[in-house]
Amino acid sequence: MADEALFLLLHNEMVSGVYKSAEHGEVENGRCITKLENMGFRVGQGLIERFTKDTARFKDELDIMKFICKDFWTTVFKKQIDNLRTNHQGIYVLQDNKFRLLTQMSAGKQYLEHASKYLAFTCGLIRGGLSNLGIKSIVTAEVSSMPACKFQVMIQKL
Amino acid sequence: MTVHNLYLFDRNGVCLHYSEWHRKKQAGISKEEEYKLMKDGFLAFQTSRYKLHYYETPTGIKVVMNTDLGVGPIRDVLHHIYSALYVELVVKNPLCPLGQTVQSELFRSRLDSYIRSLPFFSARAG
Repeated sequence: MADEALFLLLHNEMVSGVYKSAEHGEVENGRCITKLENMGFRVGQGLIERFTKDTARFKDELDIMKFICKDFWTTVFKKQIDNLRTNHQGIYVLQDNKFRLLTQMSAGKQYLEHASKYLAFTCGLIRGGLSNLGIKSIVTAEVSSMPACKFQVMIQKL
Repeated sequence: MTVHNLYLFDRNGVCLHYSEWHRKKQAGISKEEEYKLMKDGFLAFQTSRYKLHYYETPTGIKVVMNTDLGVGPIRDVLHHIYSALYVELVVKNPLCPLGQTVQSELFRSRLDSYIRSLPFFSARAG
């Protein structure tokens, strides 16, 4: 599908562009991840406006998280989140067993050390989407074996 | 019937990938010289020992596969190797720089499974 390839290739170039324009060093890695996350944040904010313009109000926080896992994820990545877990105290773990931005990379441990660069934008995407729905959060991601990954959402009570 | 080996070249003649399955005889020349021989404009030919199949894309990627004589035309197979394997797993992989030998384990293992699944591939060299 041309549109999927377009987003994938563009996203990959964005990651490599951000890293190329930075200098070397550990500090820079953190800054690049932050830049990518912030880009994702702004895109997520815009996307959620567009996706929810015709939906009814959400009942509660869990309802919003389910929307992110089903409708939001499907529209962006053409599949749903495979597993959602929560401790009912503001922490949610979204598990994607075949994350679209990682499937071409490897099916195991090869390139694992680079995976976080390709997850930063999506973390921002989730955080931005939630933010425009009135939820402040911190989103992180972890990968132990590609292409499966987990996004952890920590809701910040105001 | 079987597949002997497979080469993938880019438009500059850089050998991106090489795999072999049943290769009875090693050539008397080094790998580099062998690559040079292989890339210069064949379409398909056969000798009394093996058949060479060639597929080139508009972007200059060349897929060269050597099989034994029992194998017929396999343009669609070579096309699949290009589009479903090379394009999907190498071109779309940001950690595989274009124009260099492919390091991706995923590409190597998927290609291997695909070749082994072909109807004209038998585990025992015939």
